[in-house]
Amino acid sequence: CEKEYLETSPNSEVPNELVFATTDGALVGLNGIYRFMWMSEDHDKFGQKAIDIAMDYMGTDMFTPVRGYGWYVADYNLSSITSATATSRSGYAWRHYYRVIFNANNLIANIDNATGPQADKDYIKGNALTIRAYAYFYLINLYQHTYKGHENAPGVPLYTEPNAAEGKGRGTVQEVYTQILADLSAAEALLDGKARKVTPSHINVNVTRGLHARVALQMEDYATAAVKANAARQGRTLMNATTYANGFSAHNTEWMWGLQIPNDQATIYASFYSHMDNTAAGYAGLGSTKLVAREIYDAMKDGDVRKTLVQAPLANPTANDYENYTSFKFRKPLTSSWQGDYVLMRAAEMYLIEAEALARLGRDAEAVTVLEALVKTRQANYAAPATAGQDLINEILMQRRIELWGEGFQLLDMKRLNRDLNRTAGDPKEGYHNAGLAIVLNRSIKDNAFLWRIPQTEIDSNDKMSASDQNP
Amino acid sequence: QSRTITGKVTGAGDGAPLPGVSVVVKGTTTGTATNADGSFSVNVPANATTLVFRYIGYVAQEVAIGANTSINVALELDSKQLSEVVIQVPYGTVAKTAFTGAESTITTKSIERQQVTSVTKVLEGLVAGVQTTNGGGGPGSNADIRVRGIGSINASSSPLYVVDGIPYDGTLQSISTDDIATVTVLKDAAASALYGSRAANGVVMITTKRGSKSRAGVSVNLRRGISERAIKEYERVTPQQYYELSWEAMRNNRLAAGLSPEAANKFASDNIGTSNGLVYNPFNVGRTEIIDPATGKLNPNAALLYQDSWSDVLFQQANRTDLNVNVSGAGDKSDYYLSVGYIDEEGIAKFSGYDRVNARASINTQVNDWLKTGINLTGNLSENQGNYATGTATSNPFYYSRNMGPIYPVWQRDGEGRFIQDPIRGGNALDWGGGTNAPMGIRPYAPNSNLLGTLALDERSMRRSEATANTYAEIKFLKDFTFKTTFGGNYYNGFATTYQNSQFGDAAADKGRSTKADTRTLSYTFNQVLTWNKKFGEHSITALAGHENYSWESRNVSSTKTGFPFPGTTELASAANITGGTSTFNEHRIEGYFSQVSYSLKDKYLASASFRRDGTSRFFEDARWGNFYSIGAGWRISEEDFLSADWIDELKLRGSYGEQGNEMTTSVYQWQGLYGLGYNNALNPGAIAENLVAKDLQWETNANFNIGADFRFFNKVDGTVEYFQRTSDNLLFQVQLPYSSAGDLRQWANIGTMTNKGWEIQLGYNAISTSDFDWRIDFNATTFKNEITKLPNGDPIVSGTKRLAEGKDIYAFWAREYMGVDPKNGDALYRADPKLYNPSSTAYQIIGSDTVTNNINNGVFGYHGTAIPDFTGGLSNSFRYKAFDLAVLATFQIGGTFYDSNYLTLMHRGAYGTHMHKDLLNRWTPENPNTDVPRLQNAITNQDGYSSRWLFDASYLNIKNINFGYTLPASLISKVGVSNVRAFASVENALILTKNPGMDPQRTFNGTADFTYPVMRTYTIGLNANF
Repeated sequence: CEKEYLETSPNSEVPNELVFATTDGALVGLNGIYRFMWMSEDHDKFGQKAIDIAMDYMGTDMFTPVRGYGWYVADYNLSSITSATATSRSGYAWRHYYRVIFNANNLIANIDNATGPQADKDYIKGNALTIRAYAYFYLINLYQHTYKGHENAPGVPLYTEPNAAEGKGRGTVQEVYTQILADLSAAEALLDGKARKVTPSHINVNVTRGLHARVALQMEDYATAAVKANAARQGRTLMNATTYANGFSAHNTEWMWGLQIPNDQATIYASFYSHMDNTAAGYAGLGSTKLVAREIYDAMKDGDVRKTLVQAPLANPTANDYENYTSFKFRKPLTSSWQGDYVLMRAAEMYLIEAEALARLGRDAEAVTVLEALVKTRQANYAAPATAGQDLINEILMQRRIELWGEGFQLLDMKRLNRDLNRTAGDPKEGYHNAGLAIVLNRSIKDNAFLWRIPQTEIDSNDKMSASDQNP
Repeated sequence: QSRTITGKVTGAGDGAPLPGVSVVVKGTTTGTATNADGSFSVNVPANATTLVFRYIGYVAQEVAIGANTSINVALELDSKQLSEVVIQVPYGTVAKTAFTGAESTITTKSIERQQVTSVTKVLEGLVAGVQTTNGGGGPGSNADIRVRGIGSINASSSPLYVVDGIPYDGTLQSISTDDIATVTVLKDAAASALYGSRAANGVVMITTKRGSKSRAGVSVNLRRGISERAIKEYERVTPQQYYELSWEAMRNNRLAAGLSPEAANKFASDNIGTSNGLVYNPFNVGRTEIIDPATGKLNPNAALLYQDSWSDVLFQQANRTDLNVNVSGAGDKSDYYLSVGYIDEEGIAKFSGYDRVNARASINTQVNDWLKTGINLTGNLSENQGNYATGTATSNPFYYSRNMGPIYPVWQRDGEGRFIQDPIRGGNALDWGGGTNAPMGIRPYAPNSNLLGTLALDERSMRRSEATANTYAEIKFLKDFTFKTTFGGNYYNGFATTYQNSQFGDAAADKGRSTKADTRTLSYTFNQVLTWNKKFGEHSITALAGHENYSWESRNVSSTKTGFPFPGTTELASAANITGGTSTFNEHRIEGYFSQVSYSLKDKYLASASFRRDGTSRFFEDARWGNFYSIGAGWRISEEDFLSADWIDELKLRGSYGEQGNEMTTSVYQWQGLYGLGYNNALNPGAIAENLVAKDLQWETNANFNIGADFRFFNKVDGTVEYFQRTSDNLLFQVQLPYSSAGDLRQWANIGTMTNKGWEIQLGYNAISTSDFDWRIDFNATTFKNEITKLPNGDPIVSGTKRLAEGKDIYAFWAREYMGVDPKNGDALYRADPKLYNPSSTAYQIIGSDTVTNNINNGVFGYHGTAIPDFTGGLSNSFRYKAFDLAVLATFQIGGTFYDSNYLTLMHRGAYGTHMHKDLLNRWTPENPNTDVPRLQNAITNQDGYSSRWLFDASYLNIKNINFGYTLPASLISKVGVSNVRAFASVENALILTKNPGMDPQRTFNGTADFTYPVMRTYTIGLNANF
């Protein structure tokens, strides 16, 4: 018969050519990446925030008194990252970030040939480059020790082209960071002056600079960190005490980047608020309450709005009381719905990066100014208790732990600061870790047991990798 | 004076009643013919001595009358007239003697013995060369079938199903087994190549019944049965043992953390009954007093306050009802067959079941001497309730009840063990072990769930309506030519509801969640076939040429809402929030041209050849056309003069070779590089890469060589022996690319070669054949070896529990080798990977000549058996003694390996809340150092996982069917106008023996466990009456 009889085309998928034919099509491909960042594949695997929770759980400041429904218990006791299966925490993170990278590479490789305004091409490419840098930044920090002192240690396979069939070896940490910095610089140039098309999920130049600051801090390149953090926070206004107490679930003037999740796209139990909102009927509310470690709570001063977002310890709590040290930081806006935005970057982090970087550069006075500018919005009468030297740095780091609690920075900070894991065991009612649940109380951050295992499938299917490339 | 003699005539081979047999008093013209049920009643003169029974195709038999008033006769098939046997082949039928291909046919007799809903469950053990799963015991479930080995790695290895000449896309369980006349399995190229494009994995041709003159009448079948599980639950520990073992797991965890033995013991006693341990305390002593810290034994004063059985409350004895009525007959020019049926099959999991109403009408008419036409219409409505989650989901009642620790109750208890009243629903309050009301605590296994509560309130159903219409016109012209055109279509509609209730469990926080999904699939096949049939002298030629279109399209729409204000309705109209909605459309088309020539010389030398060219929409235009062919030859040695021995009734050698195709990849748009839609970012449409482009993708081809012999000796033994060799080339492969480069996507490509080589034998023996007693034995066995002979670059591919490698088979298990338990400390040991071995590390030690490690990640992988068995087969014994008949079918598998992950799940190291297998009582302790069960230790890492420890011999024996019947005497029932009544009792899966009690090795071909419905044992009584 006619040739057309055998020509069928899908209606619930689109051919690649259509996606890359125009900038409007490519924008669909870009939005898909952002959506993927919160898609769920299991109740503890729902994109970036799922990995953020695991990274906090591996530290000291956030913990749960009971096993509850069992989710994240294996992250808390540091065992989920020791498995090389595809569905373990480490297997999931690997697959997640490389999926993001593959999609970003598709856009980067094809966008120049798309039909559409050059400004849109630059915009899409700038977004894709930053997203790629973001994914590599997390990969290199999860699967290897921190940058400093490990520049020549094995990195992670580095791809800048969407060449699906050809695997690569681990290379070095330095190579990965070099690429991250190159991508961020290129993206910054492309995005400069361009308004974002979707708020808050798309990346604008502030986000690119903010990520650059985050990366530079991790690399202990304080000069760059200070400059980029300062530039990144321009135009953003810090929350006041009222907005701070609103629950971190709707983007506001302080948010630089986040994911907006309407009710029909929420992932219900498999979501950040299920695990982090202690007041809702998700996993946190139904069992594994997320507590603020006593060290952090005690560091907060009266009059600090952040302290009001933690259940003050009661000597004899009743069954109707929230557990002592329960966090109320993250609360979804409506009880009847799982709608709620995910924060990925906010100006407070930039203040903290800038302050820390300045202090480390010896520019103590400037550092104090930046620190106080942030903390005063949380605690009106705040004055830095130390104004110079290591004491100032320590104060900034403590403010960082208070401010960014539950947002996924624990593991990254422990690594770059060479801060060992030291969990104080005791009664959770007193704000201490439950030893039977934590299992691991002390561990050197240099211990290879902190390295996430590469999924076995990667080693089996990648010509350029063998069993000896696995993390020890 | 005359007298009346009654009796029944059956075929000696299968015991089927023979209608229309002439029964004559020898030397006279006095006589009669048998009725539809084979019975006769004849008046004979007083001086008559002998009755003669004659029937075409059978050896005539003379029987002395003597003083008998009742004479039953079994007629032997006349091998000289075997050519009367015709078999179903693509686009027609052919005399068995003239056929050069490999096939097996089973008939009504074998089908109706087995009380199963789906015809796919009939074939097990009856057809040589066919391997089947048992399909599990779910209501309305199907078995899977593989013909002659495993044909493909990532594309489908299932055979093509053809019903009445049209490729079938409906559900197989919707075909009423009462309507089926024959099931023919086409196994080699000569048999199936005419379906070239899709016949690579064999063809199962189902032919439905037609009316005939000799069997006009009404037939009624009534069957009632009850089902229970045929494979018992694994043996598990008692609540007391469970507490002691869990205590030990906690104590050992603390010991490993560096506590002193005293402190660890005290910690475990203080905590095992609390929210950090087992949470629930079913004993009459305090939470911290359950286990004596000094001994690790249960407090002697501790008595259980309650013990509920989840299996008892979630499962039931299931009823099965199967009714069928059909009316059939024929006139001079037309025949008709009309039937209606009803099946109501409960599942043993409560609230699950399958029911079906089906109807069929088949009418054929010879309009005039050149035109014949007919139509075959079916329609059925069915409903599946309780399509529970499968796999390891806790909403799967089988997995849930198996793994729920024995101390967790179904109903809430107070501190004294008394039931609590449910203030809202009344009755005893259920225990949910979590959620907003969890007075007993959060159960560590499957918290916030109670399947007894939710299964009753939830709905997981599928309502199907299906129809097929099949019509043809056949025109004869120019004497030797026939033109036949057939149009056949399948319509399928499936309406699925998944509703989670608003009161309890997962969706309570959302006030209920309901998804409705509707799928509508329409497919049709339209073909035109021209046949030329010519005989001249000793030559006989049949030639055929045709064209065929196949078209399939499927549309789906689904929507999800939450917020159900009124319990009891699942309808979306009542809910407030839309949380999902989408629709999809897919289509697939194939077009083919084909021809075939068959030649026979003196009915002795046979040859055939066929060719088919197909194009598919699945592949890119440059790669979509494939050419397929077959050649076959046969030699009926028994027709040769030099082989005129009397005992050789039939002996035929035949051979064939050919190539068929396979295109069954996951997506119908497989070649295209695609972005998947639906990844919307809030209000902005989004998509991500989903399918990698594969423009070179083409047909997987299957080269099929067959050589075989059909024989019949002494009029007693008949059978077939065959050797086959299948080579699957250009395998449609879903290549596992590195996660890193491909972003967790796989790439379809044609790579690699795989062979299946094997023998099969089918034997029948008429051990005894007398008027009162028949005994026939049928036996078949198959053995095959699968081997991957080529992979790209020769690189092995690890795929789940297997590793594909050249020289190995597709289901070869690839696992770390378990080396038992370190007697010093109870660690699990694995053979160490020499590449990772580090003599200075404490993770390694050398025991004897083995280097072992206590870290499973350092274990070395190796091959440990294969899921492909050495032999599979079946043995049937059929007996008839006067009016009684008995048939017993046993099926078996010898060899093969099975990965029992259910057992693994129960053999954990003390994960709080999960039930334990009794074998854990033999775990390592300082007092029991020599064991192969490692010590208990909660949250131990790097010790456990998939390894050779969980691989078992998969051999089994199943008494698959016992059917015992009694045919009422004609003299009794003829008075009420009934011609034949048979009452029977039958048992399916009467006895299953396996190596590890509890495991069900016949669930999958690849030797991995299924976590849901085990196979059922069903007891049935039934009645068949013909009017």
